Amino acid sequence: MKEGFVIGAGLIITGLVLQFSVGPIDWSLFAWPANIIVLYVFLLLSAIIYTFRSKAYGFRFLATSTCAVPALVMAAALTIIMGLTAQVAETSPPADFLGITKMLSFWPFVLLYLWIAFILAQVSMVQVLHFKWRRLPSFVSHLGLLITLLTATLGSADLQRLQMYTVLDETEWRGINERNMVTELPIAITLKQFIMETYDDGSPKRFASDIIIYTKNGDSLRATVDVNKPVEVRGWKIYQYGYDTAMGTESKLSILELVRDPWLPYVYAGIYLMLFGALTMFIVGVRRNKQ
Amino acid sequence: MSWEHFIYFAIVSILCWAYGAYAAWKNKTKTAYTFTGLGLLVFFAFIIAMWLSLERPPLRTMGETRLWYSFFLPLAGLIVYSRWKYKWILSFSTLLSVVFICVNLFKPEIHNKTLMPALQSPWFAPHVIVYMFAYALLGAATLMAVYILFFSKRKTENEEMEITDNLVYVGLSFMTFGMLFGALWAKEAWGHYWAWDPKETWAAITWFAYLAYIHYRLLPKSDVKTALWMLVIAFILLQMCWWGINYLPSAQATSVHTYMN
Repeated sequence: MKEGFVIGAGLIITGLVLQFSVGPIDWSLFAWPANIIVLYVFLLLSAIIYTFRSKAYGFRFLATSTCAVPALVMAAALTIIMGLTAQVAETSPPADFLGITKMLSFWPFVLLYLWIAFILAQVSMVQVLHFKWRRLPSFVSHLGLLITLLTATLGSADLQRLQMYTVLDETEWRGINERNMVTELPIAITLKQFIMETYDDGSPKRFASDIIIYTKNGDSLRATVDVNKPVEVRGWKIYQYGYDTAMGTESKLSILELVRDPWLPYVYAGIYLMLFGALTMFIVGVRRNKQ
Repeated sequence: MSWEHFIYFAIVSILCWAYGAYAAWKNKTKTAYTFTGLGLLVFFAFIIAMWLSLERPPLRTMGETRLWYSFFLPLAGLIVYSRWKYKWILSFSTLLSVVFICVNLFKPEIHNKTLMPALQSPWFAPHVIVYMFAYALLGAATLMAVYILFFSKRKTENEEMEITDNLVYVGLSFMTFGMLFGALWAKEAWGHYWAWDPKETWAAITWFAYLAYIHYRLLPKSDVKTALWMLVIAFILLQMCWWGINYLPSAQATSVHTYMN
């Protein structure tokens, strides 16, 4: 396992050098089509590593538990640091000189997770090309995590998240992003009614918006957006976000959040694979271990 | 039904579990099953009654999640017992459950019926129940680890490690379910499936820690003591995730999970 820890330490040092030379990672640079190119490069590299695994011990080593344990321990360690330090918002620079208050842009953190992705890719390839039924839970879990990790990370730059302030009986088509920039949307929304119910103590029981949604090609759709019940129109999910809390039940303002995440289906594919992996691990894993 | 009535149900359940645990020591398997089962039934009746009177699942507060934990521990103990007939497992699971019941009795967190809109979701109950069951199983695995590390006089047997591994495998699969149900729910409620909220960060840490254990156990040459210590550490990290973050300065006011307070 020593070599695994050495590799991890090497990645951390490399990461620190990068952190101080090029600065924290700017994930917005990965916006389409950069992310798909990075994904192809990753897959190509993984395929090359797999092809030459019989030639190089280092390549074979990637698909072993001996390699996985140090990687997991070190990723956990950096994630613990993240859990112990207050993290800054995505839009602000790190609040410390190292960059650990913005862990998701901290090179050593990202390199360790990338290393895990390379391990997962090798394991997935070994397990699919030398398929054995008893390894199904393991294979599906590794593949699911790989897909989730890659698509969630690379897709994050394409995620659009906008807040829309809708006023009763008025039509709005602009949204504000995390950087407070106004963007025009391909859909417009009219607030017909803001619905609010409270408990006896006045705390909110339900708040929702009765809205009409207009799309660019002239279609319109009436819908109620509740907390926990977003409405989906043309790739945009519309969420009930907030209201004028000073006015409470009398609020004439409803804040909606509009989210577009083109990579979501792939992330979900990964999540469902992991769920299937967990299910089969529960059923089969126990028995397999008994042998 | 409210927390005032809890003590009666709790006493009956504890007596049943204690007698079941005693019967297990005396090799009266059937009696052990019957009484542990009976205790679980009584305890579950209280949970259901709470559910009905609150008009929402009792899953929101720390007190309410402890309620589930006290229920799942003897259940996990019973499952392990039925499978491997370990005499002492029911005593252990009962004892641990009693600890949680006592916390609820002496530090009751009485709450009203209100449930904020963000928690009114079909994902809510499965997310928390599955997690509590995972915690119970991993708690049982930690007990095994502590027992083998500190109390067992004999040389560690393969069978003991096999039980521990199985508990971790099942616990980890439930934990994965809990985590991913949470992700799917978060997408519906907050617009994104994973936001590195402090609870999520610690959930990831805990998950990695148990993954490290199962991979370590797969090594050609792994040391039993190291493996068991990994389990103890993993369970400490799990406590951070469960309630520790409520006391963590870095996690204050930023977590969507702070309603647990």
